[in-house]
Amino acid sequence: MSAPADEAAIREWAAARRLPAPYLARWLELGPEDRAALLETAVGLRMRAGQLIAAFDLMEEISVRDARPVAAILARAEVRRILDGSGSGPGRAAALLGALRAIRFPRLARATERITCEIAALGLPRGIRIAPPRELASGEIRIELAAHGSEDLRGLLDALSRRAAELARIADLVAGVGWNDDEI
Amino acid sequence: MRFELDAVYVEEEMRATALARRVIAALPPGVPIRHVPDGRIAARADRAAADPFAAGKRRMVIMRRRSRFLTGCPAASNEFACCGYLVMELASNCPMDCGYCFLQEFVADNPGFQVYANYADAFAELDRVRAGADRPLRIGTGELADSLAFDSLTGMSRDLVRYFAGRDDLTLELKTKTDEIENLLEIDSRGRTLVSWTLSPERVFRSSEHRTAPPAARIAAARRVLEAGYRVGFHLDPIIACDGAERDYSALLDEVFAAVPTARIEFISLGGLRMTPGLRAAARRRFPRDPMLLGEEVLAPDGRYRAFAPLRMRLYEAINRRIAREKSGARVYLCMENAAIYRRVLGAAPPAPAALGAALADGKRRDG
Ligand code: SF4
Repeated sequence: MSAPADEAAIREWAAARRLPAPYLARWLELGPEDRAALLETAVGLRMRAGQLIAAFDLMEEISVRDARPVAAILARAEVRRILDGSGSGPGRAAALLGALRAIRFPRLARATERITCEIAALGLPRGIRIAPPRELASGEIRIELAAHGSEDLRGLLDALSRRAAELARIADLVAGVGWNDDEI
Repeated sequence: MRFELDAVYVEEEMRATALARRVIAALPPGVPIRHVPDGRIAARADRAAADPFAAGKRRMVIMRRRSRFLTGCPAASNEFACCGYLVMELASNCPMDCGYCFLQEFVADNPGFQVYANYADAFAELDRVRAGADRPLRIGTGELADSLAFDSLTGMSRDLVRYFAGRDDLTLELKTKTDEIENLLEIDSRGRTLVSWTLSPERVFRSSEHRTAPPAARIAAARRVLEAGYRVGFHLDPIIACDGAERDYSALLDEVFAAVPTARIEFISLGGLRMTPGLRAAARRRFPRDPMLLGEEVLAPDGRYRAFAPLRMRLYEAINRRIAREKSGARVYLCMENAAIYRRVLGAAPPAPAALGAALADGKRRDG
């Protein structure tokens, strides 16, 4: 039986980028359409091996969870927009990873988006940083103040206290309270 | 329930024990019996097998336990609210195969299904511990093994229930995902044995809990042991935050409350899915197509993958609300969550481990 037409191209890509052998093997095990779609993506976005590995892992997980082939994931509108977009290869590769993460973790993406928007809407001065936990992994919110002298500090504290109610709501969101039913 | 075995290994030194004799007499025909000088070697992982962990589950090793039988709960730590539980290790590994099971990592190097034929020594150990204890003790056997899997072969539960029946300061907790209760039904536990079932919604059962009894069968078994004079409790653990989880867990609780008189449920414990990176890798390697292992878990501050915090807390709260609606009086506690989450979800600081352990041992319900 002869090797599929794209096998040589995949091997060549993998060798040039030093893709670890287990990933190459998994790539070659995909069905013809999935394999080709991944190759087109890797070449089109000039991905690095690390980016392909991350994208591959995410796509495999989405594929199992949603019972959809990799090619179908890459054909989703939000992904296609990135693949067909005009930016630089590395920029689009990073955007692709972001989009795949949002598909893989849809509720986390929505939750993060809402919290980020609510923090931005506070319009707090520079010197105050509201930091939700990374990936909302804990229910704890951090507030950092960077002040030069007492007057500066007083200004920041005033700004915070004027927004106390909104801040409390954000802290609740981080702790799982105040979400609409379909949000997370 | 009947689980298949590829072979039974009996340590030479243990071949005359009551347990070895019972198992051999009850084995289905065709299962080879091998006598070995050291069961520990027979329990080691067979690295040549395609799935050494799964192969280990099909190899029963009847052997002597060389270390203490009683230990603290492996989940206990300063970090988490804890239910003050002592573990009696009578066996290691389990013939069932849940995708999320921590044993995949914990006993990866010695996955043979070990059953300790000198288990009567545990009673002497326990007598010594209770002599020094100032509170009722709760002792479980279902941490490194399911308490009742293979009970039809080993008959261990009969000796355990009898021992505890005579000691009012002790509670035995048998924790299971089976419906293997026939031995229990023959014995009067005098209320000193509590049987707890770990329950999951049908979807999780179908996807991840291979060879376990269906949830409906577990609930029916709970009702039967309750009628036979046992105490019962339930563990919703691991709670898997998949899409529709709130609805699924609520429906599961509907089933429980419809089948089991709610006023007689002693506790319902809640614990979200948590996996160390090693366990997650092992589980995904063994069950690459299980969507339950592909939820929205992120690396939490304790180094375990858990559903991201708002999602997890929302789900806990929804489940707790459903339980509260029932006004059952069952004690609800969280397993392996920190005090802040405990307070947030249950509205009170976690009780000290000793106090909660004693209350659970005593059979004190929330209203008690
Ligand atoms: S029943 Fe319990 S011990 Fe057995 S495989 Fe499942 S989780 Fe593990």
